[in-house]
Amino acid sequence: MVTGAFVIQGGTRKNNMATDQQINAIRADITPRINDAEAQERLAAIVNSSDDAIIGKSLAGIITDWNPGAEALFGYPAAEAIGQPMTIIFPPDRIQEEATILGRVARGESVQHYETVRVRKDGRRVDISVTISPILNREGKIVGASKIARDITERRQMAERQKWLASFPEKNPTPIVELDVATGHLHYQNLATTRLFPDLAVRRLGHPYLAGILAATETLRHGGVETAQREVEALGRHYAQTITYLRDANCLRIYSTDISERKQSEFEIKLLNADLEARVQRRTAELEAANKELEAFSYSVSHDLRAPLRAINGFAGILLEDFSQQLPPEGRHYLERVRQGGLRMGQLIDDLLTFARLGRQPLNRQPVNTARLVTEVLADLNLPASGRPIEARLYDLPECQGDPALLKQVWINLLSNGVKYTRGRNPALVEIGCEQRPGECVYFVRDNGVGFDMQYAGKLFRVFQRLHRADEFEGTGVGLAIVQRVVHRHGGRVWADAEPGRGATFYFTVEGDSHV
Amino acid sequence: MCDQGAEILLVEDNPDDLEMTLRALRRAKLANHIQVAHDGVEALDYIFGQGVHAGRPVDKCPRFILLDLKLPKLDGLEVLRRVKADPRTALIPVVVLTSSKEQPDVRECYRLGVNSYIVKPVNFENFVNCVAEMGIYWLLLNHPPHE
Repeated sequence: MVTGAFVIQGGTRKNNMATDQQINAIRADITPRINDAEAQERLAAIVNSSDDAIIGKSLAGIITDWNPGAEALFGYPAAEAIGQPMTIIFPPDRIQEEATILGRVARGESVQHYETVRVRKDGRRVDISVTISPILNREGKIVGASKIARDITERRQMAERQKWLASFPEKNPTPIVELDVATGHLHYQNLATTRLFPDLAVRRLGHPYLAGILAATETLRHGGVETAQREVEALGRHYAQTITYLRDANCLRIYSTDISERKQSEFEIKLLNADLEARVQRRTAELEAANKELEAFSYSVSHDLRAPLRAINGFAGILLEDFSQQLPPEGRHYLERVRQGGLRMGQLIDDLLTFARLGRQPLNRQPVNTARLVTEVLADLNLPASGRPIEARLYDLPECQGDPALLKQVWINLLSNGVKYTRGRNPALVEIGCEQRPGECVYFVRDNGVGFDMQYAGKLFRVFQRLHRADEFEGTGVGLAIVQRVVHRHGGRVWADAEPGRGATFYFTVEGDSHV
Repeated sequence: MCDQGAEILLVEDNPDDLEMTLRALRRAKLANHIQVAHDGVEALDYIFGQGVHAGRPVDKCPRFILLDLKLPKLDGLEVLRRVKADPRTALIPVVVLTSSKEQPDVRECYRLGVNSYIVKPVNFENFVNCVAEMGIYWLLLNHPPHE
């Protein structure tokens, strides 16, 4: 580019700067070495070929010279520009600049690389950098000014774009830092860093935000990974840092996210979990204590209530054995009643204990072969030994998931009920089967026995509730309560359907929607 | 084993049960040489010749011990544990006669080496028969080890 000191002699020129006269003027004034025509032509060629606008003007601000660079930059042909005031290329808001410039030129000062804005002929604005120097005549008197202007629109746009790009890291709300590994100095820190850690540039690796970073980036710096991650706590906030390494510059770039809220949430969740865990433990302990108490209670019932019963029974028995002769028949009858009462109470205690035990015994769920289980129970009931004609009719009985020991108790109770309440029927019939319903199979035990009135069905499954008198059918009223408890513990349902004198059917499911 | 002293050590705190048990043993003609202990401490005192039974030789041990589980001071399980833990007394047959049908009791007794576990029947006839049969079994049918 041409940036020399051109001093163009003032005076009106009709042509552009390539004329011999102009070149002569330049040569005569400033370059004693340029003393031949060839040199003048060379100089004129340089001016003409320059991309920069090279303009001459008088002290009055009238354009005297206008090279092709000026034509291209401002859009005015030389013929049109020369003779016009310089202000034709000034935007209205900068008109006053001309007076300042002319004043400085008149004082012999020059203006170097002054960046300003001018207006092209077509009205477009153009950013320029301009250097203005006084022009002296042979006597050394200032007669005008030379003005070399360069289009810096692109440069300015580039600079603006750079500034814009730089604003991304700069105004990022979380800290961004570039650290020189060799010196520990910071090459860069954005505004957030400065705001959050004002002393980071001073403390550097001693600052909690950067402490330990060299150790943490060992693998990263040896090329093992693309990025390193770590979490730090600095001035009460938590940051997740993502670190990259610039090998050539031996620099670490540390980006970060403030994760204090997440940390706080995690901490709170941990607290909540710990609290929940403690509550679960407390409840479990309470439950265990309650269970222990219940066990102790059962044990006590089992042991302590039986002892006086044995005494009632025993001494009544001894009385009957040893003093039967001395007792009138009525006395013996009452003594027998005392014994029967004792025996019944013993049975009640046993049944109640079974009922209590079934409620707390853990469920041992496994596949249960129902058909085999029912066959076993029937064998145990030893129907032929009853001396009655009883038919047990088995239908298809699919497998289920449950506790075999508990389910066996269900079948024992239901089947022995079936046998008991068909007393007096000839033939007595007990049917055992399963109805497939959507999503479940419903086992049933149906008998053709005495049945019961459905209006009392609500009492059926309650402990010690009976629908028959003890002198009709013996029993303690616990059997069906046990059935219900076991079925419920399996997540199933149990219900009955009956009619007085026409038998009863008991239904139950084992696997309900809820698995207890 | 021993050849003197009591044949049966009956450990029972309940006077009703004690009376009925003794009556049943008497009826079965097994009532000779029965030593009664009313709690666990007394039972151990007798077995190991200590306390109120200080001086009684340990090797003169009963033919079998009839042991209730729920006892004052020291319970039956502890008596059983100590008897079976001592080589001098470990071979004495111990029969637990109790009201408890609780599985943990049954298991623990067997774990400690009980020789028999019998639940006292509530029914009087059954109780009498049970005690008599048990006495006959352990005194007449069962063949104990000798030194």
